Amino acid sequence: MNWPKLRTFLLTVLVLCLIPATRYYQIDVPLLRFLRGSHHVDPLSLHLSGEFVENNLGTEQEPDGSVIVRMIAQQYLFIPHCVLVPAGVAVHLRITSADAVHSLTFNGTDYAVKVLPGTISEAQLQFPRPGEYKMPCREFCGAGHYAMRSELKVVPRDQFPALRPEERGNCAAQ
Amino acid sequence: MQRNNRFSSVLGRSAWPPALLTLSLALIAGLTASSLNLQARDNPPDRIPSYVAWTPETIAAASGGDAFRGMLLAKRCDHCHGAEGFSPIASTPNLAGMDKLATWKQLEDFRTRKRLSRVMEPIATSLSSRDVADVVAYYAALPVLPDPQDNRTFPQSQADPGHAAIASRLISFGDGERGIPPCQACHGPVAYRTGVPSLATQNAAYVLNQLEAFANRARTNDINMPMRTITALLTEGERQAIADYYGSGLGLQPASSTAPK
Ligand code: HEC
Ligand code: HEC
Ligand SMILES: [Cu+2]
Repeated sequence: MNWPKLRTFLLTVLVLCLIPATRYYQIDVPLLRFLRGSHHVDPLSLHLSGEFVENNLGTEQEPDGSVIVRMIAQQYLFIPHCVLVPAGVAVHLRITSADAVHSLTFNGTDYAVKVLPGTISEAQLQFPRPGEYKMPCREFCGAGHYAMRSELKVVPRDQFPALRPEERGNCAAQ
Repeated sequence: MQRNNRFSSVLGRSAWPPALLTLSLALIAGLTASSLNLQARDNPPDRIPSYVAWTPETIAAASGGDAFRGMLLAKRCDHCHGAEGFSPIASTPNLAGMDKLATWKQLEDFRTRKRLSRVMEPIATSLSSRDVADVVAYYAALPVLPDPQDNRTFPQSQADPGHAAIASRLISFGDGERGIPPCQACHGPVAYRTGVPSLATQNAAYVLNQLEAFANRARTNDINMPMRTITALLTEGERQAIADYYGSGLGLQPASSTAPK
């Protein structure tokens, strides 16, 4: 392979590597934002429109049995305060912050999701065993930080109620 | 067309730019469609708690009022909210010393029917946006600390010591086990969050009414649901204890200074 060709090849590889890097380092490139679908949200107006309006928070069931869980972190609460998911299915978490940096963790597991204002954090989780997990915030976020903890209820798949769209925040199992 | 390009046999050179354009447009369309897919489901209409969002412009509009003009406007509010901002009626809120943003937001919510009150809705609707900014500036400037010269109607009640101990623990420490954050981390005097009303000089009956209203969703104008969430975790007795605590003036100092050891 001659040098000019190699150079073009290396340059292309470099540029391709930069694309995921912009996402990792939260660099905002408008064209890329447009192309991959925005991960950016306005932390001050989550309640006005879009994915994080209050009636859309909580657990949404997918046709394939997996669930999407949408949450907001704010000083000093995670909303919804209690989340219900079925055991053993893929849980796709989408969470954003309305103010400071928080970290959503699940006691008894290794999961920890850093939550930043202005961007949607995503994580693929799975909880094989039914039970109740406390979800404390593990990033100091101010005066009420130590009381910032929600609850996750994992119920067997057959006990998971069929949630209508307006019941996503519902935490009561059948 | 002399160079034997690999592609020129498939497509003439002149066909390339349009083909590339079509291809890239299709790519962009596909990517946007796949990202929109997450949102475009048969969702019920958005439930919006309040049209207020604390952008710098909103904060500037809400805090730029003229307190003197506000004083003249507040004549209309006197017989319910009190001439010194302390209401003689226990279920009507005291407004003296209340943060401008907090009162501004409530008036805005009354006007847009995001907070329902048969009394306040027509009053808030009759005020222009300039009037609202002015009147909240006036109430924010009224003194909170007791003054022997005035004949204010606060505090109206005395807290029972057993109740006060329960309340001061919740106000200063919250309850980590149940995930209840301490009230004073948002409502002061330890820290104030944007647009959060002070409770230190609020009447007991009004505080209790509001806690009950949040808990049973009669009041739903808290942005991102902090109060609806917290009040649902409190017991009836705790709500009563907290209302008595604030209503008796104990909230003027940080609660930890009155908390039992
Ligand atoms: C007829 C009596 C009456 C008059 C006059 C009146 N108010 Fe009110 N106001 C009330 C009552 C009662 C409430 C409590 C409503 C509730 O319980 O939801 C209230 C609530 C409020 C609140 C919400 C306070 C909080 O802490 O959330 C604000 C702000 C307010 N009034 C401002 C005003 C202003 C400004 C005026 C004058 C332009 C005025 N009110 C005139 C009776 C009155
Ligand atoms: C996470 C922050 C936060 C915490 C913690 C919090 N509050 Fe609130 N509270 C708010 C906000 C924000 C509002 C204003 C809601 C709105 O915009 O209408 C509010 C409003 C209220 C009101 C209505 C006041 C009025 O004048 O209308 C009462 C009463 C109240 N809170 C009591 C409490 C009590 C008691 C606690 C502790 C158990 C508490 N709050 C803890 C954020 C908080
Ligand atoms: Cu936090």
